[in-house]
Amino acid sequence: MIAQKTFREIRVMALVYTALLFALAAPVIWLWPDIYGDLKGSTLLKNPGFDFLKRIGVGVTDRSEDIAYRNWVAVMLFFRSVNLLGIAASVLLGTALFARERETQTLEFLLSRPVSRGQVLWQKSWPTVLCVLVPIFVVNTSAILLSRSIDMELPFWPLQLANLHGCLFVLAILAFTTFVSARCRVQAHVAFWVGGVVVSQIGIYLIPRLRAYSLFRLSDFDCYGPILAGNLKLPEMFLPWHGSAPSLWLLLGAALFYFLSWRSLRDLEL
Amino acid sequence: MNDEPVLLLDAVGKRFGDVDVLRAVNLEVARGEFLGLIGPNGAGKSTLLRILTGLHQRTNGVCRVFGLDPTQRSLEIRQRCSYLPGETSVYQEMTGAQFLQFAQSFHAASDSARERRLAELFALPLHKRVRSYSAGMKQKLAVLAALSVEADLYLLDEPDRALDATMRMELRAVLVSMREQHKTIVLSSHHLEELSALASRLVFLRKGSFIAASEVADARQRLSRRVRLRLADGAQLPPSARAAQRLGDGSLVIDCDGDPRALLRAIPDVALLAAEVGAERLEDLYGLLYLQGSTPHTEGTLA
Repeated sequence: MIAQKTFREIRVMALVYTALLFALAAPVIWLWPDIYGDLKGSTLLKNPGFDFLKRIGVGVTDRSEDIAYRNWVAVMLFFRSVNLLGIAASVLLGTALFARERETQTLEFLLSRPVSRGQVLWQKSWPTVLCVLVPIFVVNTSAILLSRSIDMELPFWPLQLANLHGCLFVLAILAFTTFVSARCRVQAHVAFWVGGVVVSQIGIYLIPRLRAYSLFRLSDFDCYGPILAGNLKLPEMFLPWHGSAPSLWLLLGAALFYFLSWRSLRDLEL
Repeated sequence: MNDEPVLLLDAVGKRFGDVDVLRAVNLEVARGEFLGLIGPNGAGKSTLLRILTGLHQRTNGVCRVFGLDPTQRSLEIRQRCSYLPGETSVYQEMTGAQFLQFAQSFHAASDSARERRLAELFALPLHKRVRSYSAGMKQKLAVLAALSVEADLYLLDEPDRALDATMRMELRAVLVSMREQHKTIVLSSHHLEELSALASRLVFLRKGSFIAASEVADARQRLSRRVRLRLADGAQLPPSARAAQRLGDGSLVIDCDGDPRALLRAIPDVALLAAEVGAERLEDLYGLLYLQGSTPHTEGTLA
């Protein structure tokens, strides 16, 4: 019943989020033939201020249109859409999980029902996770069909691996938001703390010498580009002895914050 | 097994930071008992009920509900309890019917007859969203959800809050019928007079401690010697008497040390318009116990 209630509360937001993801994805695919020509002629991309922008510029203006298109998808559908909308959805839906219940004084009702706090966390979490992650898979997978309309091809499995990695990034953010939500009394405070962390991480990402310490280093073009190009495969994503294992760190981060959320909720005194 | 108390508290205390919210509280509630918990705001009533449901962890002492420790086995306790929180806890985005269904879904059984009766009494528009309800209607819905569940123990934290006088009377009728069915109920309230009519036993909480039975008995003894009288214009009290209080209608309240009839005999008949001796008004008892203050005790009840 808690899961059903949670789903009922967030389903409209999930639909709007799906529509926004699609609205951001479709034009960048349909307009690719024109954009490719523009990009190749762009002088700005050849000499940008940041090294990561330079790599993006080189990637999306590659002489091979197939490679350039994959890089374009990595930038637009993953580096941009997943990071931007995925984080927004995580923060919007995650902040409400517990802090809003405390604000509206319904958390006491919920926690005094004959159901364990672990169950309360689980039944509130999984519908939220589904509503945030499924749209990423659906919309980004639909890019394969959209690409055919412009005579371009996107490889199915590398795209799913990129989806998996993007979802793990969003999941880690959602788990962190859930943890903060379980600790804060006011929803606005959760948004403040999570927003503060995200903005500071973006700030760190934009400083070349500090970029390696930014969370966004795990979800940027340098991650998605190799995955979509087929150069970063499942073992390299998850097994540290095969590579940098960026997906593993995201998975562990999500698990850690889920555990911390459970502990916070277990020890919570209203 | 049936003789085991439903609730057993032995020197239970609760501390928030530097504040002792509950201090060495002792209490035993038998099966089928209706316990009234009286106390002003901040006395520790809600904290006590939350400790019983496992929402708060006690700082010290021993607490057992159905023989189980709420710190360790709160889930099993909550399976047998119906708890009404002190703050109105209803989901605004649900309809009344959806909220009821949601609340009942956690419990094994509900009492549909009681639910129907309460729904009729409260006349709630259950098909409407809760956000359109008034504060009183939301409280009625919360009460309906708590009482429609079939449980071994009902922990009700100020169920009459935000209810008007008519609704309080109707709620009282429902609670009386539950008492007659020998349901174990612990109910906290500010409405001393109504709770006194309902509960089989009252306990008075003050600053986290129960007021001793002896102190309550003393207060009642004092009230039995209290005289309320109205004097004719210009008439004076005998020099030995001093009015403790002058009421809005001109009546005087006098606490006599000795026999109150002696005071009345000392007033000429023509000067005495009305007199009332020893009428125990519950608000007076409340005033003596809470407004005048005294040393807190760790145990005690009023039968």
